[in-house]
Amino acid sequence: MEDIIVRYVSRFILPFVQLYGLYIVLHGHLSPGGGFSGGAIIGASMILYALSFNLAEGSKKLSHDVSSILESTGALIFAGMGLISILLGANFLANGAAGFPLGTPGNLFSGGSIAIITFGVGIKVASTMATLFYSLIEEEHSHEHH
Amino acid sequence: MNFSQHLPALIVVVPLLFAFVMPLLARWRKQWCVPVTLGAIIFSFAAALQMAFQVMSTGPFSYYMGDWPPPWGIELGIDYLAAFAALTINGVGLLIIWFGSKDLLHELKPEVLGWYYTLYLLLMASMVGIVITNDIFNMFVFLEICAIASCGIISIKESRDCIEAAFKYLVLSVLGSGAFLLAVALLYMVTGHLNFTFMAEALPEAMVLYPNNLLVAMGLLVVGLGVKAALFPLHVWLPDAHSSAPSPSSAVLSALVIKVYAVAMIRLLYLVFPRELLGIAPVMEMILWMSTLAIIIGSMFAIVQDDIKKMLAYSSIAQIGYVFLGVGLMSESALVGGILHIFNHATMKSMLFLAAGAFIYGTGARKLSELKGIGHTMPIPTIAFCIGAFSMVGIPITSGFISKWYLALGALDVGRPFFTAVILISSLLNGIYYLPIVVNAFFSKPEEAVPAPKQLPREMLVPLALLSFGVILFGVYPSLILGIVYRAAQLLLGL
Amino acid sequence: MSITEIVLRLHANSYYFFAILLFIIGFHTMLTHNNLIKKVIGMNIMDMAIFLFFVAIGYVRGGRSPILEPGVNHAFINPLPSALILTGIVVAVSVTAYALSLIIKLYKHYGTIDAEEIMRIRGGGSL
Repeated sequence: MEDIIVRYVSRFILPFVQLYGLYIVLHGHLSPGGGFSGGAIIGASMILYALSFNLAEGSKKLSHDVSSILESTGALIFAGMGLISILLGANFLANGAAGFPLGTPGNLFSGGSIAIITFGVGIKVASTMATLFYSLIEEEHSHEHH
Repeated sequence: MNFSQHLPALIVVVPLLFAFVMPLLARWRKQWCVPVTLGAIIFSFAAALQMAFQVMSTGPFSYYMGDWPPPWGIELGIDYLAAFAALTINGVGLLIIWFGSKDLLHELKPEVLGWYYTLYLLLMASMVGIVITNDIFNMFVFLEICAIASCGIISIKESRDCIEAAFKYLVLSVLGSGAFLLAVALLYMVTGHLNFTFMAEALPEAMVLYPNNLLVAMGLLVVGLGVKAALFPLHVWLPDAHSSAPSPSSAVLSALVIKVYAVAMIRLLYLVFPRELLGIAPVMEMILWMSTLAIIIGSMFAIVQDDIKKMLAYSSIAQIGYVFLGVGLMSESALVGGILHIFNHATMKSMLFLAAGAFIYGTGARKLSELKGIGHTMPIPTIAFCIGAFSMVGIPITSGFISKWYLALGALDVGRPFFTAVILISSLLNGIYYLPIVVNAFFSKPEEAVPAPKQLPREMLVPLALLSFGVILFGVYPSLILGIVYRAAQLLLGL
Repeated sequence: MSITEIVLRLHANSYYFFAILLFIIGFHTMLTHNNLIKKVIGMNIMDMAIFLFFVAIGYVRGGRSPILEPGVNHAFINPLPSALILTGIVVAVSVTAYALSLIIKLYKHYGTIDAEEIMRIRGGGSL
């Protein structure tokens, strides 16, 4: 797409979109939203980048290697936090019961393992959104070249 | 820290965890994919064994995720049925993927092989999750994972037929999940709970106040799970999906995936819904008739098939009918027969599909007419196929006989000899389509000279041999597994 | 029951009524349209109808979103259905993505996304 307005506007709003997504992910344990919503916003920003600039440049920013590492890491953080709870002597995914510091409700650093899990989910969702988009688009393109 | 108390969570989490590691391995350490997958499933199998022993010695137990007791948290409940199903899933699943580790090499493109193991592990984790969870929404989530993973292992082959079959399966699966979720909503509306135990406590009271809600919910549950389990009029997706997929996928889909939904339905109908509600609406009667039609019509369709995998797929429709026949009859023997048939059909159908896969691997032949004289060139798969075929027909000393025997007894127990006759007739029908293959394989010559088949690797022969050994073993000594099945049936019937 | 009573009743249960209406629209779209993309859209509408139904169960008239603030006391809506449905939405997203990728593959094989056309090319069977 070669539209100067779209490019200009998206160049302006992209950082804010990503910052907003990050905010929602990090405040997942405090306010509405969380890993999925925030991750979806970050993922959408990457899709917007690819749409308003071009695909080749978009996939340069997030190569397949990187995105598959991110996807796996996100899921592994989730499962890993659950296993840490078991190692700490509580049940799977236990939070306060496993001795994670809960902090003061309302503070950013509170909620024990929830905040970390939300972060993992955010990474996973963001990279998955982008991967889904790129995979579909590449499939479409490889078809056109046939 | 007592490690074994966490097994109910780990049996689901470990395969899930490795499912997410698998894409990384597939990219950088290709040769590790198979051992890691096998390792994860062996772990689950060992965990399922340990859980089965525990449940037999100390009775049903439960596990609270995140240390939150129900009704707040998700509860995993290991009762006899759950332990039995988990054992079946992991045992048969292990043998199938062991066979698949070689068979898939020729069916799939090398770049998607790693993804196959991801999907397979997801499928195993979600199936175990469905049978051991005690929370209806958690069950929905696992149902969806299971649906996507099972479509995935069909469409991964990327042939025209596979993609189409997978799409059809996906659409109908989503319909089924939608019906299930709506039922969950209706049940949550009247009970305010998602946990099976709490729902079961709240339902008798809710039944008086909102009978219609419950009836609709029950109907939706039966239809939703029925679509996924391919209960007779809802089976349209199954033949294409199971026959076009790669052989290990066909085996796991036919042997395990449709059974898991049957287990889910058994748990919901018997443990959650009050018995009086089953009196208001003739759900059990409907299931009985649907399964009867499934048994007869599935077998009839199987007779006219020419493609070996399609024939096996239609036969699965008939066989899932037996399981539901046991569910619908509501007598102890029949339920034992139905539950036992889950295990028996899993072993014999996976064996049949894998043997068919071995034929395709060796000779490329899919047509029944091309399999004449195969017994001379590929003896071991053919013998496995024969044992599976005998077991399907229900010849004594095979495990298929035992479950049919209990089903027939159960039908007589409740005074409905008609269904005993159905079982006899269907055995006859099974004989009509299985026995000619067996006879042709050994006693007739191929019409034209065929090139010698490819040699089967050991990874494919050993699972086949183990499965045939299992079919005979559990046919001669059914008491090895009957103990847990009896207790499961008694718990479900509240005896 | 008079007309006004029916209307009042519908108004009181409008969420459920519209959820069911949406469900029927989605189901109808899914079953009757030949275009596979439209089938997927119908699937999504149907899912959304169920989500609306589920979320509506947890709604409390006049309730606020359930965020605890010290010293403030409101009636809260029931957060559980919303939380559950978030999971449902995630599932719907993945199913949609998967279905669309299958459609792309089908298009590659058949050069069309019309179910009937595909059926014709294949010669028999149904989609």
